Amino acid sequence: MKDFTRHRLSLRAALLATVAAVATIAALPGKADEVTPERLLNADKEPGNWLLHHKDFSATRFSNLSEINKGNVKDLKVAWTMQLGGVEGGGIWTHGGLEGTPIVENGMMYVTDGWGSVYKIDTHGGKGTLLWKMDPKTDHDWAGAVACCGVDNRGVALWGNLVISHTLDGRLIATDKETGQVAWQRQVADPDKGEVVTGAPLIVKNMAITGVAGAEYGIRGWIAATDLTTQKEVWRTYTIPGKDQPGHETWKDDQNAAASGGGSTWVTGSYDPASNTIVWGVGNPGPDWDNEYRPGDNLYTDSSLGLDADTGKIKWHYQHTPNDPYDYDSVAENVLVDVPGPNGSTEKLALEADRNGFAYAVDRTNGKFVWGLPFVKKVTWTKGLDPETGKPAEYDPSKQVQLYNAAVTPSRQNKVTDICPGNMGGKNWPPTAYNPELKLWYIPVIESCNRITVEEETPAKLKKREFWTGGGPSQPVRITGSVTAIDVTSGKIAGKFETPFPNLGGILATPDLVFSGQPSGEVMALDGKTLAKLWEFNTGGGVNAPPITFSVDGKQYVAILVGLGGAWDKWFIDATPELKKMQPGSMLYVFSL
Amino acid sequence: MSFRPLLFARTDRQEKMIGLNRAAAAFVMVAAAAMTTGAAAQSADPTDAGKAIFKRANCVGCHKWHGNGGGGYGGDALSLRKTELTREQIIETVGCGRPGTGMPFFTRGAYDTVKCYEMTRQDVGGRMPPEANTFLRPKDIEAVADYVISHIKGKGEPNYGECIAFFGEGSRVCDVYKAQQSTDTNTATSGQSK
Repeated sequence: MKDFTRHRLSLRAALLATVAAVATIAALPGKADEVTPERLLNADKEPGNWLLHHKDFSATRFSNLSEINKGNVKDLKVAWTMQLGGVEGGGIWTHGGLEGTPIVENGMMYVTDGWGSVYKIDTHGGKGTLLWKMDPKTDHDWAGAVACCGVDNRGVALWGNLVISHTLDGRLIATDKETGQVAWQRQVADPDKGEVVTGAPLIVKNMAITGVAGAEYGIRGWIAATDLTTQKEVWRTYTIPGKDQPGHETWKDDQNAAASGGGSTWVTGSYDPASNTIVWGVGNPGPDWDNEYRPGDNLYTDSSLGLDADTGKIKWHYQHTPNDPYDYDSVAENVLVDVPGPNGSTEKLALEADRNGFAYAVDRTNGKFVWGLPFVKKVTWTKGLDPETGKPAEYDPSKQVQLYNAAVTPSRQNKVTDICPGNMGGKNWPPTAYNPELKLWYIPVIESCNRITVEEETPAKLKKREFWTGGGPSQPVRITGSVTAIDVTSGKIAGKFETPFPNLGGILATPDLVFSGQPSGEVMALDGKTLAKLWEFNTGGGVNAPPITFSVDGKQYVAILVGLGGAWDKWFIDATPELKKMQPGSMLYVFSL
Repeated sequence: MSFRPLLFARTDRQEKMIGLNRAAAAFVMVAAAAMTTGAAAQSADPTDAGKAIFKRANCVGCHKWHGNGGGGYGGDALSLRKTELTREQIIETVGCGRPGTGMPFFTRGAYDTVKCYEMTRQDVGGRMPPEANTFLRPKDIEAVADYVISHIKGKGEPNYGECIAFFGEGSRVCDVYKAQQSTDTNTATSGQSK
């Protein structure tokens, strides 16, 4: 009874707080904690905060905090932990996992679980205090049945006095930062079409940019911008060109393969303010493994795109694997870096580590290839990249169906074949990090081969909300991993730290350290130059998310979400049998000296 | 009818009697459950228990709610709609899994204390199927087999009615079938061939 009264009182208080918060927004648009476009542009000037998904618009995931450094990292200890939720299953999934990047602003942390609940945690005082949880009540059956690769949500963004987040069932939600009440929401993606959303929004000016997943379910991919002031769509750019648009000629079939041609965009992109260009990666064509169904280069699948931020117009593109028969997504983030070029010039690069096993640098002003190299130990699908164009050496533009190294390439003639890298990559969604002082770019690597079995698709087999893959992978070969460093000034590998398991979490770089994790539970710190392991802690749960760092009360912390979910433990676990014993979990770990 | 303790070998008739007693007990339980849910009493389906197991044991994880399986990022689960397996074969497959595939075994002790396809764990070797996340008792396996036989095996394309029967009224999962159904109806009423 007492509790009931308290609940009623707190409800009243919350209602009043909402009214007060609204009044505050109206009265004080420029108050200190308001996240303005200017603050996001200058995110690096707030070293204690982690304001953007990839830390800054360039997607470096580099923090210059150095209280924790290679001299003392061996003393790093757990400061506090917090148990989160969202591990329940739904659709075809037995459980969720944690893939999110925490956002931290002025000591307040915002994290998500796989079903899109947002948690606001006060990190002051050397402990974590949960202030509120916003549960969007995601439709488990509706979304979970068409999520190819897990119950995933990769985090929030901040804008004004709102927390901006996505849900697997396709919503963009704005939550009041103070009260945790949903201010408004908008359906952006449609699970009836097989579309779901797993990525964190990217805030550019007053817009939230949303990417979509679903290339395994016959979608036509897109990137969409929502005006956060009007809550209306500003633009939506399809990654598969329409009939009257340039690029449509790269779909040469007579069965309208483009309409279900895939091209997902489920990893948060980057933004170059100088040219007002959003750089965003595009995923695989569909059906994944039956490329004879979709003759032609299949633009803009497997490409990096440069988009005008105000209109969504495609300014440039660079395609990595034309007419892809391997599921070699290019959905990865592009890291925007400036390096010294010839004759005192500056090269403005976009770096992308592709599922196909190659790392690429393109000129981010025009999409022209600069350099590329394999970052995995084993590549069998091509003998290498053309040094001028960066296209696979065997690529023949006069051919409608590419075979590359035909001996290993999945096709209707070669229905069961082993490929390296396997279809998970290479490098999957877990983000890279770039140290601008050392000019080193760190890639979380899946060192893999796997087996592809092709099934011929026909238009009659295309059904809403059903898999559209043209076959599937199996795992006869053990898969390991590495953290591989590339010297961006030379485009050469500078080091490789091998790990027993694939890197499914991603990377954080600080001035002299690299942080990462393993799906077997370890969080580790490596020497930024030599990649020697300097510290390790076993969380007891599978690391499937990237670490970040922040400071509060003048003290530096490292934070990481732990809970193995995603695609791996349903589809790829046979390649890492020891991981079968990892239990589902949902835990935030925070470390300090 | 009282339940007599078994002091001697069972006869066929006694087996039937035991079966009847169990059936009666099950009926009482179903009736009790139906009474608590009210309207459910009218639509009680004897295979509802099997449907519940189909969900609980995560058959949907690979075969999907409609049983068609198919496609998939991790390879195919076979279609239960097109299956030619008999009830007994389905029971055996659920209990023992399918060696050399991802179909797990659901019987506790399969290949160890219970032989499967006349094989032990040693016999099956590297083709040992995975262990399911949950074990099912023999009656549960029979129930799920009965559900598959009566609601999935031999059926054509999944439709709105089936979807609602599985998920309940109002599920957004079923909207795509509703749209399909109205398209089909429109096509039919406009005199075009379906």
